[in-house]
Amino acid sequence: MLRIVAGIMLFGLLTGPAAMAQTIFPYQYTREVLPNGLTVYLIPMESPGLVAYYSIVRTGSRDEVERGKSGFAHFFEHMMFRGTKKYPGSVYDSLLTSIGASRNAYTTDDYTTYHLNFAAEDLRLVMELESDRFQNLAYGKEAFQTEAGAVYGEYRKAVTNPWLVLAEKTQSLAYDVHTYKHTTIGFEADIKAMPEQYEYSLSFFKRFYRPDNTVILIAGDIDTRKTMEMIAGFYGAWEKGYAAPAIVPEPPQKKERTGAVSYPGKTLPVLNIAYKGEQFDPASTRFVAALLLGELAFGETSDLYKKLYIKEQRVQMFGASIPLNRDLPLFEITAMVKKVEDIEPIRDEIYATLSAFQSTPVSVQRLADLKKRQKYAFLTGLDTPDRVAGGLARFVALSGGIEVIEELYKAYERVTPKDVMDAAAAYFTPEQRTVVVLKGAQQ
Amino acid sequence: MNRLVLLCAGVITILALSCTPGEPLVAEKNIVLLPVKNDPTVNVRIWFKVGSQNDPEGKEGLTALTAQMIGDASTAANSYEAIIEKLYPLAAWYAASSSMEMTVVSGRTHRDNIEDFYPLLRDAVLKPAFLDADLERLRSQSLNYLENVLRYANDEELGKAVLYDDIFAGTPYRKPATTVASLKSITMEDIKAHYAKHFTRDNLIIGLGGSYDEALVTRVRTDLAALPAGAPPEVPPPAPAPVKGLSVTIVEKDAPATALSMGFPIDILRGSKEWYALAVANSWLGEHRNSSSHLYQVIREERGLNYGDYSYIEHYPNGGMRSKPPQNVSRRRQLFEIWIRPVPNPTRHFALRAALREFKELVDNGLTEGAFTLTRNFLRKYVLHYAPTTMERLGYALDDKFYGIDGSHLEMFRKTMDGLTVADVNAAIKKYWRFGDMHVAVVTNDAAGFRDALVNDTPSPITYATPKPAGVLDEDKTIQAFPLKVSPEKITIVKVEDLFAK
Repeated sequence: MLRIVAGIMLFGLLTGPAAMAQTIFPYQYTREVLPNGLTVYLIPMESPGLVAYYSIVRTGSRDEVERGKSGFAHFFEHMMFRGTKKYPGSVYDSLLTSIGASRNAYTTDDYTTYHLNFAAEDLRLVMELESDRFQNLAYGKEAFQTEAGAVYGEYRKAVTNPWLVLAEKTQSLAYDVHTYKHTTIGFEADIKAMPEQYEYSLSFFKRFYRPDNTVILIAGDIDTRKTMEMIAGFYGAWEKGYAAPAIVPEPPQKKERTGAVSYPGKTLPVLNIAYKGEQFDPASTRFVAALLLGELAFGETSDLYKKLYIKEQRVQMFGASIPLNRDLPLFEITAMVKKVEDIEPIRDEIYATLSAFQSTPVSVQRLADLKKRQKYAFLTGLDTPDRVAGGLARFVALSGGIEVIEELYKAYERVTPKDVMDAAAAYFTPEQRTVVVLKGAQQ
Repeated sequence: MNRLVLLCAGVITILALSCTPGEPLVAEKNIVLLPVKNDPTVNVRIWFKVGSQNDPEGKEGLTALTAQMIGDASTAANSYEAIIEKLYPLAAWYAASSSMEMTVVSGRTHRDNIEDFYPLLRDAVLKPAFLDADLERLRSQSLNYLENVLRYANDEELGKAVLYDDIFAGTPYRKPATTVASLKSITMEDIKAHYAKHFTRDNLIIGLGGSYDEALVTRVRTDLAALPAGAPPEVPPPAPAPVKGLSVTIVEKDAPATALSMGFPIDILRGSKEWYALAVANSWLGEHRNSSSHLYQVIREERGLNYGDYSYIEHYPNGGMRSKPPQNVSRRRQLFEIWIRPVPNPTRHFALRAALREFKELVDNGLTEGAFTLTRNFLRKYVLHYAPTTMERLGYALDDKFYGIDGSHLEMFRKTMDGLTVADVNAAIKKYWRFGDMHVAVVTNDAAGFRDALVNDTPSPITYATPKPAGVLDEDKTIQAFPLKVSPEKITIVKVEDLFAK
């Protein structure tokens, strides 16, 4: 639903007694890079007999630079289940079915992840299958075209939801040249034309599905030494050759943009205020302060949330999203309002709140409360191998590794009320703003 | 292998502690404990034996709203705002949810913070403030869901809601949720009376899991004993009317794609060998969100008509939002259900035929030995993924109590797989599934056109934008003419704006 939970919820600041430890991440792990560039993280943890196996390709809708190819990273995720000569899709499926593995995949703007959960005794079989499909994927034109139909079906399902309609409009209006202009599922016209892109799909695999663009992350009931040996055996022959796409940087926005979009159904109106933010950079105190600002100004304990949602009950949903991205993302504040005439007054209250944060420091206690929250959200969120590996995936995509979490942690420690003010002043300016209002066609 | 067993091992114990004489305590038989020492969290689930089946006529939604007034509103000690403020630095939460027969107040915190957390949860259960402002906020949320989200923004859930309504018409399971009129009619007095009648110390089960200590157990038992005594009489289990032939409800709306749901009531519950046998057949036919599902293979994988196709032998709310079964939605009467995710409107008739034809094949011919072995092996390990966390396992432990299962359903699930034969599975299919007597719910445009096509069993050939193997095209010829034999009087067309109105 509403993307109000920033990435900082999972990996926040660690303070108090646990901070005595050297690191925030509570599990010991091993990192190794194979000669072909494949990065591997092994995280043994107490988990009775279960293993989570994540293959993270650092390619997402951000990399769809060619015209007419939006949505291809997501589409390609589907193709990865079509199998190889050795293990055709149906064989791959039945082998994983026979071991009761839970498996899936997802694509985001910055990366694509393939993940499985299974019993520890089945690790070798899973690694054989996963390493095989990443190196030897093979599918015919018919299978390709059938899958294109399934992806269009997924789009049709998604577009019945007003949030996708809003995201499409906001991104398309806010960006001129960068690939964040389209959503991960892609422009509808491009999705419709996918059946014609068989040749392109082969080149997509060759360019992006390479060891030097992939990270393997395995958590759970594993033996590190034996697992690393297996990895070397199964993945060692995979040839490097990642070709990074030429992503055109978005030029600075100089003027406010506004737009409206009609949702072909019934919904309460939604106000979306999006600012050009900054790419993930834990070395920048200002950026890290912005992550905290989203919570402080618009989170569930913020004055504005309490006023609009609890006391006056003028909004149905309300929150901010400060995402972690490889390139410049949108910092968004979103309100689903109950009355259409309330859109402008609520918009002005959001602006007033941002102004106040630009001129008035947040209380030390509020900042400390947020930091404590980050710590406990972090500590209680890592309770299964799947959550550990899944929670790390975006950091791997951003930086190629998980060490960046420690950097982020140190940066949180540095953040002061003054830094929060500076972040409010730097990012939330009218000229960097795109405002979109969504209304239902049927009211 | 031994380590695997540990995950679902029977570490659930019934409390046997000595207590101070004279001090009232919640009865021992009403406590479920799941100690997990290396889990740094404390998990609570307090189950009250009340659900939407207990909603009075015209007040549908009362239990759900009462639960929200406990789990998401002010208490005598703290305003809603203050509660959020206090929970915030703990990154802890509590909430209440209700289903047909169960209402559960659940919560989770890091053990470091139990002293700050527990009083908030306790007050929510014992001393809800019942303030008008909270009621209006929560009522407005529910109205928005009915009037906007369900009717207009989620055709899949809409189709399912219509199906459940049809299957359980005339029983206390009649409404899965509520109606606009009933929601508007609920007063604070209704909520207070419902709370006083059903949220009693004799009508609850307390579940604790994780790294709680014994002192907490005693404290919870003592505190909750302050609730009034007594329990209302049990509502008799529903006896849904048998369905004869295909009974179709078409929801007319300007839908970009067609959502299809179909099913019938079944009279079998988890815990018996027959249920686990039927679970094997169901998993083969349509394991939820899994490409091993046969329906998924036929409709999505081979033909690319939609995003997924699944089947169920237990109620499975919010299927679009979850990949594994929910906990604490137990009920004494279950349904069999097939869920076809939205297909392009021109293929709706074909997709319905394809799904029902596959079901008929299974009912007529049973599972093959090979399919049986594969699916049994799959389930034996796959159910490990149903409850990886302490909170989920605690939920299953409460459900075990609901179903009267001595031990653990998940453990029994895995063990029973070893002793099953294909004959057991096929006998269960014959006994509990039948083809042709089924409710079908369709959300689509041009309802009249679809009605005519159904009544006339009009052939429904489909074309593909892309080439398909000869085997698929040959099978299509059979599917497109597959007779559904729907009588005209068995088809009802409703307008979307009339749904859930009153």
